[in-house]
Amino acid sequence: MADFVGIDLGTTLSGLAYLKPDGTPEIVPNADGERLTPSVVYFDSHEDVKLVGSAARDGGDPDRTIFQIKRHMDDPEYLVDIDGKKWTPAEISALILAKLKRECSRIIGDVEEVVITVPANFNELARKSTIAAAEMAGMKVKRLVNEPTAAAVYYAQTQGVKGNILVYDLGGGTLDVTILNVAPDSLRILTSEGARHLGGSNFDELLLGAYSDQYRKQTNAELFSDERHRRRVLQSAEDAKKMLSKLRRVNDTVANDANSGIARIDVNREEFEASIRPMLTRTVMLVEQALDSAKLKASEIDEVVLVGGSTRIPRVKQVLETYFGKSPRTCGNVDECVALGAAIFAKTSSRIQEVCNASYGTLAMIYNAKTKEEKLANSVVIPKNTVIPCSRTQIYQTSEDNERVIEVDITQGEDEDPRYVDVIGRLTLEVPPNRPKGCEVAVTFSYDENQRVRALVVDKESGRSQEVAVSYRGAGVLSDEELQRRTKHLRAMRIE
Amino acid sequence: MFKKVLQSLSKSLSGNKSAPPPPKKAAKDKNLLDRVTKGPPAPQRDAAPARSTGGGGASILSRSTATPEELCEIKPGMSKGQIHDRLKLLYRRFNRSASSLDASTREEAERMLDAIVQVREKHLGPI
Repeated sequence: MADFVGIDLGTTLSGLAYLKPDGTPEIVPNADGERLTPSVVYFDSHEDVKLVGSAARDGGDPDRTIFQIKRHMDDPEYLVDIDGKKWTPAEISALILAKLKRECSRIIGDVEEVVITVPANFNELARKSTIAAAEMAGMKVKRLVNEPTAAAVYYAQTQGVKGNILVYDLGGGTLDVTILNVAPDSLRILTSEGARHLGGSNFDELLLGAYSDQYRKQTNAELFSDERHRRRVLQSAEDAKKMLSKLRRVNDTVANDANSGIARIDVNREEFEASIRPMLTRTVMLVEQALDSAKLKASEIDEVVLVGGSTRIPRVKQVLETYFGKSPRTCGNVDECVALGAAIFAKTSSRIQEVCNASYGTLAMIYNAKTKEEKLANSVVIPKNTVIPCSRTQIYQTSEDNERVIEVDITQGEDEDPRYVDVIGRLTLEVPPNRPKGCEVAVTFSYDENQRVRALVVDKESGRSQEVAVSYRGAGVLSDEELQRRTKHLRAMRIE
Repeated sequence: MFKKVLQSLSKSLSGNKSAPPPPKKAAKDKNLLDRVTKGPPAPQRDAAPARSTGGGGASILSRSTATPEELCEIKPGMSKGQIHDRLKLLYRRFNRSASSLDASTREEAERMLDAIVQVREKHLGPI
């Protein structure tokens, strides 16, 4: 049995690594001989089999093929309908994890307990769904760790980086920027910021648009009319993107599926870089946000390290070099370092200090006695970037006379303005009658190592209390009973 | 100096009755959110960009003619530093909203992020 296993459950690629007896991490290939497995699932219509990986990506009916399910892990209403059966994002992810577990176990022994990486900006629901996916796949999640944290662990152990490090992780689907301090015997996360839906897939779509425009100009016809063909051209566009990281100009030949003729596609690096500039500006703004959160200036960052396949794009490196005034560090395997770092993390997590990635609080009417201002606000109890695990309490007052039920909305988000935070749960507590308003209520939030939050409300006068872990409702969220039922079902499935 | 009084969304709508299931997004509860500020005008930090709170006229986001500057509330005469600070605030706010549990909020956030980038490139120069 492998003791220390890390899994990078990526938007486009997933990988499993383990720690060898000598302490070095190693990627474990799947049964197809690939070090990384495309995060794609295909539901075959002829046989009761679920294909995962390259075969799923390259083969079948797009209506039965699920790409980038990770982008929906935070959507409580998202469901995939295959032959009338509704699949949650957690279940689709479980199929990917199940393939990794089953096939890698043949090489390194049974995989029972794992560290799984998640984007730094994954919310509560997405984290919970990731844990559920692992359970369905037959693995216990020892810890969730943020992807840039895992990457930083890898860089610290293998590349010798130290001091204030900024990790710029631009993957297939998300961007994470994490700032941390690396000392000889410890690693301290200062902040993690993330941007949803900003990654290589967005660049592929832009190139796909260029392909379509050129095809239309040359043939006066549309390049694709259905999803199957669109997927094929998208794959070509992705290949062209990769080549543009090495060449200044790339030519391709494409045809549609209606015999409208062949077109010669000509894309160059300059135009590609111009098209992705707005997205790169967003990434710079996230870097600025991270620096502000860590209260650091760009000049105080000792090393910028690159993670994720999209950091191979030369313009990405140039932008960061211009911003920081120094060349970013890159390792040879930017696609694998998250999984490799997760395996190291599985053994060394006690030396790593993490922070919570979001603020948690409640809604309260705030009275300022000095200015007489009254304002409904998101009252933060645990601020973002508090060292975890942690527990914080704030005292509030009841709002009405004879209040029988105290209600506490649990908010996620740092904005003071309640319009810009999510209400992710509610806690209710019955209290004795005939009390005046203004009774004190203690609201305590606890945040665990997996970045999951619990809330406790205590009515100080009566001593009554209520505690809950945040739970979500939605079509795409499984109840505990349903999770158990589907786990049993999934473990009997044929997954190739 | 500060007194904090618990105020849940459901109570603002229905008094002391027991709570219904939690709503997905605060922005949907107009009664409560109409009371975001009461008293002296809020400072710039709290000035919400023009955005629908479920009533009270059309959101500027729904107007196709609104310029990126209007969406970001960039006023003529603002210095580059002020614009930069304003954009940082909006970026932080809408980047978080882009991960909201509410689909319409996510969509709106993406539009705002596009506008923020346009304003930044125009006023502060391309990266």
